[in-house]
Amino acid sequence: MLEDLNLNYRRIGLQAAFWSVMLVLLLSILINFVNVTNTNQLSAYDDDWNDMSAFRQDIKDMGIQTNSLVSSPLLLADIEDPRNTTYILAGVERDTLSLPQFDSDGFITIAAEDGYSPSEIDAIVEFVDAGGTALILDDYGFAGSIAQAYGVRYTGYQLFDTTYVQELDYNYIWMCVQATPCGMNGSSIDPDTISVHERWSGASGEGAHPCKLMNGQSMPLEDAGLCAHHWNNGEISYNATYQMLLNNITALELIPGVNGALSEVSIRAVTSNEATVDVNGDGEIWVGNEVNSETPDLWGQFNLSIEACARKSCDPGEGGRIVFMADGSALINAIYDYEGFNDPNNPLYGTNECVTNNTKCIPENDNRKWALDFIAEALMSSKIGEEGQPSENAVVIFDESRHPQNALFADTYNTVYFLLVYFTGEGLAMLLLFLGLFIAFEAVLIKKRDPEPWRHVFSIIYYGFGDANRYTYYAKSDKIRQVFLSKVRNQNGLSREEFHAMPARELVSLINDPVLAKFAIEPGKYSLEQTVAVVKRIKAWGRT
Amino acid sequence: MWTRKASFTFTGGIALILIGMMIANLQMMILGLTFIAFIVVNSWISGHGDVEVQRTLSADNLYKGDDLYVELLVTNRSNRNTQLLEVYDNIPHEMKLRSGLNQMRLNLKPGESARIRYVLRCPLRGHFSIGPVSLRSRNTFNLGVDEMYVDHHSDIVIFPQIKEVEEAFLRSRTPKMYTGATTLRTPGQGSEFYSLREYVPGDPFKNINWKAFARTGDLMVNEKCRDAVTDLYILLDSRDIARIGTVLKNPLEMGTVSAASLAAFFLKRRDSVALAIFDDSLAYLPPDTGDKQYFKILSALAGVSPKGTMPLQAVTNSLSGRFSRGSPVFIISSCEGDGTVPAAVRDLVGRGHEVTVLSPSSIDFERLVSRIPRMSYEVLKLERQNRLTTLAGSGAMVIDWMPDMDLSQALMQVRGY
Repeated sequence: MLEDLNLNYRRIGLQAAFWSVMLVLLLSILINFVNVTNTNQLSAYDDDWNDMSAFRQDIKDMGIQTNSLVSSPLLLADIEDPRNTTYILAGVERDTLSLPQFDSDGFITIAAEDGYSPSEIDAIVEFVDAGGTALILDDYGFAGSIAQAYGVRYTGYQLFDTTYVQELDYNYIWMCVQATPCGMNGSSIDPDTISVHERWSGASGEGAHPCKLMNGQSMPLEDAGLCAHHWNNGEISYNATYQMLLNNITALELIPGVNGALSEVSIRAVTSNEATVDVNGDGEIWVGNEVNSETPDLWGQFNLSIEACARKSCDPGEGGRIVFMADGSALINAIYDYEGFNDPNNPLYGTNECVTNNTKCIPENDNRKWALDFIAEALMSSKIGEEGQPSENAVVIFDESRHPQNALFADTYNTVYFLLVYFTGEGLAMLLLFLGLFIAFEAVLIKKRDPEPWRHVFSIIYYGFGDANRYTYYAKSDKIRQVFLSKVRNQNGLSREEFHAMPARELVSLINDPVLAKFAIEPGKYSLEQTVAVVKRIKAWGRT
Repeated sequence: MWTRKASFTFTGGIALILIGMMIANLQMMILGLTFIAFIVVNSWISGHGDVEVQRTLSADNLYKGDDLYVELLVTNRSNRNTQLLEVYDNIPHEMKLRSGLNQMRLNLKPGESARIRYVLRCPLRGHFSIGPVSLRSRNTFNLGVDEMYVDHHSDIVIFPQIKEVEEAFLRSRTPKMYTGATTLRTPGQGSEFYSLREYVPGDPFKNINWKAFARTGDLMVNEKCRDAVTDLYILLDSRDIARIGTVLKNPLEMGTVSAASLAAFFLKRRDSVALAIFDDSLAYLPPDTGDKQYFKILSALAGVSPKGTMPLQAVTNSLSGRFSRGSPVFIISSCEGDGTVPAAVRDLVGRGHEVTVLSPSSIDFERLVSRIPRMSYEVLKLERQNRLTTLAGSGAMVIDWMPDMDLSQALMQVRGY
């Protein structure tokens, strides 16, 4: 009884252990698809301080349609009018699902690149080639593979510069969108070092911003369209200076010797000459004349924004363009809509130290101006008479596919959607899907049967009963002898006792057959033929 | 349940949607969605009306090999048509459809009825049940099939066949000797006068009533009142070993036929018949006469199945005290695998019973289904002969019943031992 109890406990323990392991495994899988911690940021569809709802709202107010892309950039291939579409990717916080696909050489490969699969990168490149505009904002995320397609690299190390916002901390750095670096004068940017956007200002001779072309034109605010943020006192007053505030940034590099997908690559913003990069990530800067183990960090001037265009003019009508910026949070509500963030009477993005203590307020910046000018250049109609207005099919697509979602199972939905897009957009997956459909058809053809027509079957199961083992036993001479002696005993009406007490000589005389008598009395080995002959003789014995 | 057509339509719909997504073809996707929608809408339209089923049988009890006439009345009790409705009456596989069909495709209007008639042949004894009635309805486009049952059963009992038994072979050697014997008011073997009748060739001369001949000029014979033989005991071996052979030919099957035939013969003569069936337990029907006893015996024999290993001596030990003194005892057994048979028979004979052992030859039944080497077969037969000789030596009448031998033919051997 005690043993049974022990056995039962052991069984229960084993069961519990097994199911615990299964549960842990299941949770570890689910955790990838369910955002349990509910951490999300950089979403154009959320309105926290670190999301981008203000930017999206401005775009909508301009009369431009905004869409989200929750599955995969593979869908960019299906966009009918890339010329009037802008793709915005702010922060690539998740890697892609590693699924098999064809690479550019036609071999099957598993996506190992950061963030996006080769097919997705191809889709982005093709979108840009077709005249689309892309804005890639990232720092330490997974946008490296996209950048590499254009000969650009995210260093992935934190960058520090002397042009930081002293009221905040060294993580907030000013970026002047101009060819030369700007400098500081005390706690603010030295106005003497401020210049203009090299292309948008028209200084390079071509590629001036469309709002620049409307500069000085008098018009009501309603007619200013995409340049409305430059409207001042009844006319367009375009200013090409951009002092953008970045937070916790990295640096961009042009990969030496690599020709990207677009030929015209320009650096649009750089750091000061005294910027440093914390290569080993220890939070301290150790720099020297050469990089070694004691002075592993870098210093000098680094790129903060790079633009690649199909033509030098970057005219959207002549081809696409893509802009990389070394900060994923350049357009978050706190910086983009600093007024709403700092407003103590009506803080739009929750309470913060600026609202409560009037400290650490986000300083005035041109992030909104730059972002809206970027959109204006990309989506302004080129038709005569529609100057300043967005084009008819203008769409801004926010890539949310690599953002953790706050809604329960939203990530699961995204993953399912991703798989759907994968199977209907990726060559290898389509091949697999075709194969799957073919197998499904075959399975239906082979396995699925209509109900059998009813039919009465008369069936009596014939079964045999017998012990085949005894057949050999009954062929043995000992058994045959026993049967024969029983026959002799029965034939002569003797009891068992009488028969056993009978002398051998008397038995021989009873049998009265020398062959059978010998068989009965002298046990020995008999061949098959001999046994057959003996059985025949036994059968005949006693008949006469 | 979906039909193959529905599955194809569904798979095709899914395939069209996916391929449409792949090649960005909206028309293809819409076509796929149409397929899926078609399936979905069709799946809503299913079922059939309230159908009532009534089955009528020509008999509840019949003999093995007889025909059973079945009529199934299907009535639509609902207010709508049944659509295409298949009706199938489930009949046991052991029954053979002799004529007609046990199924029909119907489309009954409200209140309408249809009759399905068919004839079954029942080659196996036993207790059987006909039913339930299966119904299968298909929707308009044959995309879905619903199956259901009407739980309507009809039970029938198939009795063992009754073979003709000739009186001469079973006549008691000692008529009216036993306690309890009564004179029956029926003509037969006996001592008391019953009536006069005309002479028919074959009548013994000693029965001729010469006075009547002298008076009438016609040969007349005296008929006597038949004396009851008293109680007859039949012991049927239904042990597992009795299944040797095929379903239709095995010691048990032949044993039930012989038990039924003997019981029928003796009960017809107004004798009392008792039946004991031994397998893993002992079932005993005390001696009685009449049709009720006949029905009881046939019912008991219909339900016999081979099982167990109860020895004969256990049976005789249990029952011999209840046997009327000197009454005949019929043991129907292959006598295989039971070493107590000689002792049991000796005991019964010693108690003054007239014991007849009817022994189906199990070796020869076994030969019908398995290949026994010739020499082994001969030795097995020798051993069986020894066994039967021992029983005969104990004072019993022994009948070695071969598979191809008729019962009356086998009973003739009574005189041989």
